[in-house]
Order: sequence, then structure tokens, then C-alpha cells
Amino acid sequence: MSEPATDTPPPPSRLETLADTIGTVCGERLRRVASIASELTFEVSPSQVVEVCRALRDDPRLSFQTLADLSGIDYLTYGMDEWDTHSATNSGFGRGVAGLGEVETPVAPMERRFAVVYHLLSVNLNQRVRLRAYCDAGEPPLIDSVVEVWSGANWFEREAFDLYGILFRGHPDLRRILTDYGFIGHPFRKDFPLIGHVEVRYDPEKQRVVYEPVSIEPRTLVPRVIRDDHRYEPALNGRAAGAPGKPNGR
Amino acid sequence: MGLVAEVDAELKDKGFVTAQLDDLMNWARTGSMWPVTFGLACCAIEMMQAGAARYDLDRFGVVFRPSPRQSDVMIVAGTLTNKMAAPLRKVYDQMSEPKWVISMGSCANGGGYYHYAYSVVRGCDRIVPVDVYVPGCPPSAEALIYGILQLQNKVRRTSTIAR
Repeated sequence: MSEPATDTPPPPSRLETLADTIGTVCGERLRRVASIASELTFEVSPSQVVEVCRALRDDPRLSFQTLADLSGIDYLTYGMDEWDTHSATNSGFGRGVAGLGEVETPVAPMERRFAVVYHLLSVNLNQRVRLRAYCDAGEPPLIDSVVEVWSGANWFEREAFDLYGILFRGHPDLRRILTDYGFIGHPFRKDFPLIGHVEVRYDPEKQRVVYEPVSIEPRTLVPRVIRDDHRYEPALNGRAAGAPGKPNGR
Repeated sequence: MGLVAEVDAELKDKGFVTAQLDDLMNWARTGSMWPVTFGLACCAIEMMQAGAARYDLDRFGVVFRPSPRQSDVMIVAGTLTNKMAAPLRKVYDQMSEPKWVISMGSCANGGGYYHYAYSVVRGCDRIVPVDVYVPGCPPSAEALIYGILQLQNKVRRTSTIAR
């Protein structure tokens, strides 16, 4: 049985339907961001996070009753280097890097350094959406808490505060959750030294564990990078190695 | 002549057995090394394998105890973080003498993968005195058992009374 050819456009995908619904519910408060792999990402201004989240949770067509994850991001060095090779060891293992082409240039560094990302899930409607809110510029970065929308956000926000130093306005109990008692700094910030500031040892005289400044030199093992590695291209393109073809180089 | 046969013969002959007190104590100690259950990371999974049916640490008299008061040996199985250092030392201090420590895996031996990290102790020997280091990431269950056997050899060599 053959179907008659029609000119009607194909029905919108599930994703686009969801995007349209979110658009009608939230309107101008959300801005859609390009994303891959059939995922939906929206940007929201930090002052409107709570009302948008509540709308996404309460609207029966959306019903995002689960906050699957909440995390912070530090965009300090975003897009600047994909591999920092200046300090890499020469004896390290090699890693070929094909040219990545143009890296998306970051928007005005430090202007919008920290962001908070919300992953929402609707279990009953089987749909997901991602929200990103850049914190207001300034130190410390500040954003409204969504604990009153999803109580599960409590520890997520504590984690983001601990690791990035993002303050969540209205959080009932904003204190560190992962790092050591009395820890200073926020270790997931890009300008936090990986080696840290203190190390511990047992002091037999004081009979307790004591903190001391770090005694070893920081060392970061970065793979030796071979830029524009074309060794495997013939195989990848289905040509025998050494066979005449497009000369190497870009 | 095996030990059992030896003892058996002596019992049949005299009705009693004589032994050096040191040997007797070491025999008892090596035959009942009870580790405190102290799993910190993935090494603990391998430690559980060693304790479970296939390798069965019970055969060596190694029975995991939930209390440091009842334990003779501490197996530091996994990454020791700065935050965990003080509790680890506290548990070690609570163990009754004589006590031994087995450092299991790269992280406990010297920080391992996290040697240059901000939150990890670069070797649990900075916190507690270690008797046996078991290398690996994680060490296999056989490797841990080998480490326990090495510790038994070490205990067997010590003389508590005759110095």
C-alpha cells in the first residue's frame, strides 16, 4: 500500500513540542541555547531562576518534579586552551590531537565567570531539560536558592558552594559538605592550585594530626601533545598508508 | 615430621607438650589476626573479595571485626584523605596492643594517583606506622592475602619475652 505524496511537513519532534511548551509557559524568561544529542538547554537570568523553576515544576504539561542534578561551572579559562602544553613533560605518553578547528570564543572573560546548571527530570512525562544561569559578576558569585522548589537541591547547593564558592541566597544551611573541616578556598575553581595549601601528618609529640604547608613541588602530568597528528588518517579514510592522496597538513 | 604429628607423638609419649612461650604466643597471634574493618575506597572491594567465599580469609584466622578494641591489625584499604586522617589515627589509637598495620594499594602506600592532589594524604605512613605495604591499584585479593602472610611471618619472627 503506497501512501499518497503530500507536501505537509513532518510532525514536530517530541523535543520541539517540549521546547514549544516550555516557551509558552516561560516566555521571555528563557532563552534557548544550542545543544547536541536531542537535549534541551535554556539560559535563565539569575534573578528569575526560582520563579522559572517553580513554573517548570508546577505546570501539568511539564511536571519537572525532580531535580536530577545541580552543579556549578567556572568559565575562567573556558575556550582558551584545550591542552596547556607549556608545562607538559617530554617523557610522558603521547597523545595525538587532530586540529579542533575554531574553539567557541568565550563571552567576555570574568564578566560571566560562574554559572549554575540545573538538570530537571519529569518522571511521569519522561522528559528532561537543562537550565543554565550565569551568576551576577562580582565576588562572591551570588544566585537565588531553589531549595524551596526542590528540597533535594539542599546538598547540591552546598556542594556547589563548597567547590566553587557560589553563594545561594535563601539556602537554609549553606556550609561546606565535602572538603576538610576548616578548609580554605574552593578547590574546583580554575585558579585553585591543584596541590592545595596544606598537608597533614601525625605529630608524635602533640599526639594528634597536624596541618603543615605543602612540602612538595606541584607537578601536573599532561600528556605530550602532538598537534595535527595525521598518522592514522589514511586508515581512517580507507586508504592504504603511504598511498598517494591528499598531502598531509591543513 | 609435621607439627601436628610432632605434637601428637609427644602427647602419646608423655601426656603433655612443652613449647617456648614466645612460640606459643606468636602461634596464637599469627593464627588469629583480626583486622578492623576499615575500607576507604575501591581497595575495600578487593578486601571484601579476599574475605568472601572464594579466597576466604577465615582460613587464616583473619576475621573482620567491627570494633578497633577487638582488633590486632588495621588494613588501610583505599585513599586516605586529609579529612579522614584524624579519624584513622583515632581508630588506630583505640586498637589494643600489640597492633599492626597493612597499607593496601597505591593510595595508602604513597598517595598514588592522588599524590599531587590537595585533599589526599601522601601515604598513610604519615599518620600511622605501617608494617606491610601491598602494592597495586587495587591489589588483587591474592596480593592482599600474600601481604597478610608476610605480616604473619613478621609476627612469627618477633620475640616478646626472650629478647
